[in-house]
Amino acid sequence: MKVERQIRNDHLARIEGKAGVVVEIGDEVRAKITVTEGPRFFEMITRNKHYEDAAAICPRICSFCSIPHKLTPLEAIEKALEIEVTEQTKQLRNMLYFGNMVESHALHLYLFAIPDYLGFPDAFSMAKEYPDLMKNGMELKNFGAMVQSILGGREIHPENAVVGGFGKLPSQQDMENIKKAAEKVKEAAIATVDFFAEYEYPSYVNIPRNHLAIKPYEGYGVYGEEIVASDGFSFHISGYKEHIKEEVVPYSFAKRGKYKDSPFMVGALSRLVLNKELMNGTAKELVNNYERFLRPENSFANNFSQAIEIVYFTEKIMEMAENIKIKEEKRVMPEKHDGKGYAVTEAPRGLLIYEVDIQNDIVKYMNVITPTAMFIPMMELDAKKMAEGMWNDGYKDIDLVGKKVEMVIRAYDPCISCSVHVIKL
Amino acid sequence: MKLKIGVHGLTSCYGCQLRMASIKELLEAVKRFDIEYWHMASSKGEIKHVDVAFVEGSVSTAEDEKELKKIRENADILVAVGSCAIHGGVQGMLFGEEYKEIFEEIYGKHEMDFEGRIGEPIKNYVDVDYFLPGCPPEEEEVVYYLACFALGSYPEEKDYPVCSECRRNGYPCIIIEKGEMCLGPLTVAGCNARCPGHNVACIGCRGPLPYNIAWFDSLAKTFKEKGFSKEDVRKRMEIFGKQYKKMDEMIEKVFEDEGGKTDQE
Repeated sequence: MKVERQIRNDHLARIEGKAGVVVEIGDEVRAKITVTEGPRFFEMITRNKHYEDAAAICPRICSFCSIPHKLTPLEAIEKALEIEVTEQTKQLRNMLYFGNMVESHALHLYLFAIPDYLGFPDAFSMAKEYPDLMKNGMELKNFGAMVQSILGGREIHPENAVVGGFGKLPSQQDMENIKKAAEKVKEAAIATVDFFAEYEYPSYVNIPRNHLAIKPYEGYGVYGEEIVASDGFSFHISGYKEHIKEEVVPYSFAKRGKYKDSPFMVGALSRLVLNKELMNGTAKELVNNYERFLRPENSFANNFSQAIEIVYFTEKIMEMAENIKIKEEKRVMPEKHDGKGYAVTEAPRGLLIYEVDIQNDIVKYMNVITPTAMFIPMMELDAKKMAEGMWNDGYKDIDLVGKKVEMVIRAYDPCISCSVHVIKL
Repeated sequence: MKLKIGVHGLTSCYGCQLRMASIKELLEAVKRFDIEYWHMASSKGEIKHVDVAFVEGSVSTAEDEKELKKIRENADILVAVGSCAIHGGVQGMLFGEEYKEIFEEIYGKHEMDFEGRIGEPIKNYVDVDYFLPGCPPEEEEVVYYLACFALGSYPEEKDYPVCSECRRNGYPCIIIEKGEMCLGPLTVAGCNARCPGHNVACIGCRGPLPYNIAWFDSLAKTFKEKGFSKEDVRKRMEIFGKQYKKMDEMIEKVFEDEGGKTDQE
């Protein structure tokens, strides 16, 4: 194909990690998401490590989702060694996970995405003209970070979450503080939804797509073992390799996921599409009020969905912190030393899968599939459709087209560090 | 005049940059600097002259090397931020292995458009002026380094172990009380003994002490008393410090009383 025009950005700004985009326009339009972030081979470096050490290494896959990259391997290890953690541990882990959802979504929306909507290169310059808006973002981020610090031991790489429970339990006073903090940021959370419910989505990227999400154990939760798809199909996590295939392309250190041979989507939008009936409280009301923004076929709806989730998880944290009565209890230690385990959770960006094989307390095999690795092909298709649609509509300003292509990529909140730090087929 | 700074990421988890981006008073702090380059946070900016460049991540691709050299050429002061930049990070654990074999094991036989490598610390490629340790660094440390530079001063690196912070806080010793392999004696301080404070053994995420002079002599005895071997210590230290050149020397010293020399103070 003779390439008439090219859009090339080798290093996209305001995303986590190092990726680029190349769009070639000629008789047809082609798009490639290049992932140049170096490979880190976590599957290799966790091998032959004690399971505790392997679990401590995993969060280093990605800082934005270091909580999911701790809690998911913990669940896989505990399944392998048949450890049943206490009800309290389950609740506190949920709260920790929800804290990460709030922080990760708030960081992404306010630091990375909203500057696009308002036409700024970054949040710092945006803050000068929209100080109240940025203040909301920072409050939400700080609230999520607080929950992670109290329960995880720190907000990035949570060493306090360990196999069988927690190193140190939070105090009742900690719970009181979390509850009060949640009450304080609730308005900021709702304001985030209001912000996104002002914008129409570009119709160029209206593409029917499959969404995948877990069927939560309870409520609109993040833990489960059954994966459901919007085409009506569902499968157990142990069969993930049959249903989610991965491929390698020369321009990406990230492997790329396919479901039934096609690109698919995971993340906040997918969760809402599949599980919104499981929501309750203010978030549920907001979803109902703003239903026309929840559009399964348009990835821009992902930002709106993240905003809804900030409200939901903030309110959940508040409820849980209010109702929980912390009691002293010890970590549950395993009696078994061998076994295989699978776990899947809903990380901020979507399904996160861990598989582990432990022999004599040593990890012999670990496999990870991250949400970004799953949705890159869909993101690539959206980037292509965006450029193609604008070009065919007569937009010849290649910089403008490039900006819109970046915007649709950013809507996914890609986490490139995650995407490359993985996987063995 | 405001200090010009740049913030850069090579191959890493982006946690050091996230730590910098999530300091509580971020919006106040950034007013005091001209941020010339911070690609994670801003779409403006190119690599040009700055007073201070902060670099996180290990060199894991040919592109990383090129970018790092360009950053160095343009920076008066270069700070290596975090375990990946300082020691190669957890991915640096594969040091000594053949890249090609590892690549094929994980990705299969594929030709790639880019050249990957086993992660290395940035000091293997450029001169580094200051080291800001941590995985990730603590918020107070980030603010301290920024404040020092803003005031025209320079940051002092710590040369004492996590143990000393643990003692000062009065936490029960994980090695003595629980018999677990806690790397507090050999790991550079600055986290205020965060993990021992949570009843969790130190995994050494901040990296080995920068000088092989500072540990508690008594700890050699403690590791031995609890039945740990040199290999046990090395295996755990390698998670974050595989490429630390003085590791052998350090471990030998910790165990050197084995030959019957007295280890009483």
